[in-house]
Amino acid sequence: MKKRLFLIPSLIAAGFLPSKAGAIVPGDFVTAKNGQPSVLERLKLKHIFSLAGHRSHSSHRSHSSHRSSSSGGYSYRNYSPPTYTAPSTPSYTPPAPTYTAPAPVYTPPAAPVAPVVTPPAAAALAAPLKTLPGNTDKFRRIAMQVQSALTAYGYYTGLIDGKVGPSCKTALTAMQTDYRLKVTGTITPEVLDTFGIVAN
Amino acid sequence: MIDLRLKIDPLPIVEPLVIRLRNEPQNYQTEHDAVLVDTEGTRLEYDYNGFSFGLHRQDDENFDGDVILALPGQRIAHRLIRSKSPHNTFLVTEQCDQLCVMCSQPPKKHHADLFSQFAVAASLAPLNATIGISGGEPLLHKERLFSMVETVASTRPDIRFHILSNGQHFVTEDIARLVAMGTERILWGIPIYAADRLTHDRIVGKDGAFQNLQRGLGILIKAGSSIELRTVVMQQNKDRLSDLANFLFTRLSCIDVWAIMQMERIGYGRMNWATSFHDSSTDFTQIAKAIDMSAARGISIALYNFPLCSVPPQYREFALSTISDWKQKYLDICERCGSRAACGGFFEWYSHKEGFAGLGAL
Repeated sequence: MKKRLFLIPSLIAAGFLPSKAGAIVPGDFVTAKNGQPSVLERLKLKHIFSLAGHRSHSSHRSHSSHRSSSSGGYSYRNYSPPTYTAPSTPSYTPPAPTYTAPAPVYTPPAAPVAPVVTPPAAAALAAPLKTLPGNTDKFRRIAMQVQSALTAYGYYTGLIDGKVGPSCKTALTAMQTDYRLKVTGTITPEVLDTFGIVAN
Repeated sequence: MIDLRLKIDPLPIVEPLVIRLRNEPQNYQTEHDAVLVDTEGTRLEYDYNGFSFGLHRQDDENFDGDVILALPGQRIAHRLIRSKSPHNTFLVTEQCDQLCVMCSQPPKKHHADLFSQFAVAASLAPLNATIGISGGEPLLHKERLFSMVETVASTRPDIRFHILSNGQHFVTEDIARLVAMGTERILWGIPIYAADRLTHDRIVGKDGAFQNLQRGLGILIKAGSSIELRTVVMQQNKDRLSDLANFLFTRLSCIDVWAIMQMERIGYGRMNWATSFHDSSTDFTQIAKAIDMSAARGISIALYNFPLCSVPPQYREFALSTISDWKQKYLDICERCGSRAACGGFFEWYSHKEGFAGLGAL
């Protein structure tokens, strides 16, 4: 697996480069780094994958996997009956949506921690891929219904904005305690049942 | 075997949803993160944007950093990314335009487009992850696939892809885009089974496939792409391996690695096992010759999916541990083997009765 290529200077001068001159690249005429690689750079083929893969036998993750999934795909044509639903009739139609962006639920802890190697946040998808508003919209509508119910029962005085923020969580906790539900501070199927909100 | 599906409590969703599971709130919290709030026996409860999300685990598994895909109305979620595993692969389509005799994932007609979800999932992967893209033939949906790679590349330049493709669908116009996507971002895993048209076409079940493949490889080479050529060795092509070694050296020497692979006994591979499986533990001559020729000429060569004890000692350095962790198993004879840590073992669906005859603990 170890590959050694011996370059003879006169051969290089005569234009004979080995097929894979990964280790030795003569001079700076291949190093024009303005976006597009030069032809020589392309032919140089100093690809990280092969180098990483053959460095040791312990970590050859790059071309390691057989990658045939044999797993049966992610078919979702069959919609089985939804079960996150509550039994009774919907009691509330939400007002016109005024919602803009999904809010992070947790604010980062105040104390600055040493920067962990955390990948950057997922950014919004670029134009060519369709965005996925459907679920966001669905969750927001349910959250608004819950907020309205919490308001009606006197637990919540905040905005009906479809965002489960700190005050909404406090209200949920209080409501769950009073109704002897499991106390989570989140919207659970039990909460929806109690308020008669149909989720699906 | 690791089950790549998880039982969940259904979510009120109308389209497929990608969620990253976290044990603790993070500094970088995204709208896709669900944070563990409660553990009750085997049921884990997460807070997903204020909604409760229940997940059921089998053992004491830790899902921190894992990315899952939930589908409307389903109680099963797919584990797209396991944060501790190097073997994360997206099955982007089950459609294919070839019918290979050893195919482990036989094609289906239906295609569900989940590229948007895959783009989100990839952008939630751990730092410096390599994500496999498999099928079916991913390039049947080339525009969507390229968009996905470009989207991820723009937000997560650290993520790399290993894309398995039959190499049939590249056109000259793709070169600029391939270059722009970054030749080091993608490793193309392309199968070639023989140096002659007839043998290759017969194995992949498609007339003209060999010729298309040569054109496709030419385009990838022009773009300076990273290429891993993959040859499953079978009864059909074992005697032609040295021809293929010659062909690769004279025509395709700028590839990054040539992988000679063992069969996977599932799908068509299982159906055609008796007529295709080549027991390389009893006859390694052709493979040895191909390795000798290629190594001497500076072509990187590797053996994938070969148990170490099936390979003669002097060639074991080429045998990489390649079987994905979730479908990997070891046999009883492996119990007292000293090389187990370096060995990829066997596919979950390997049957020793019909398998390698010449194995033994090292």
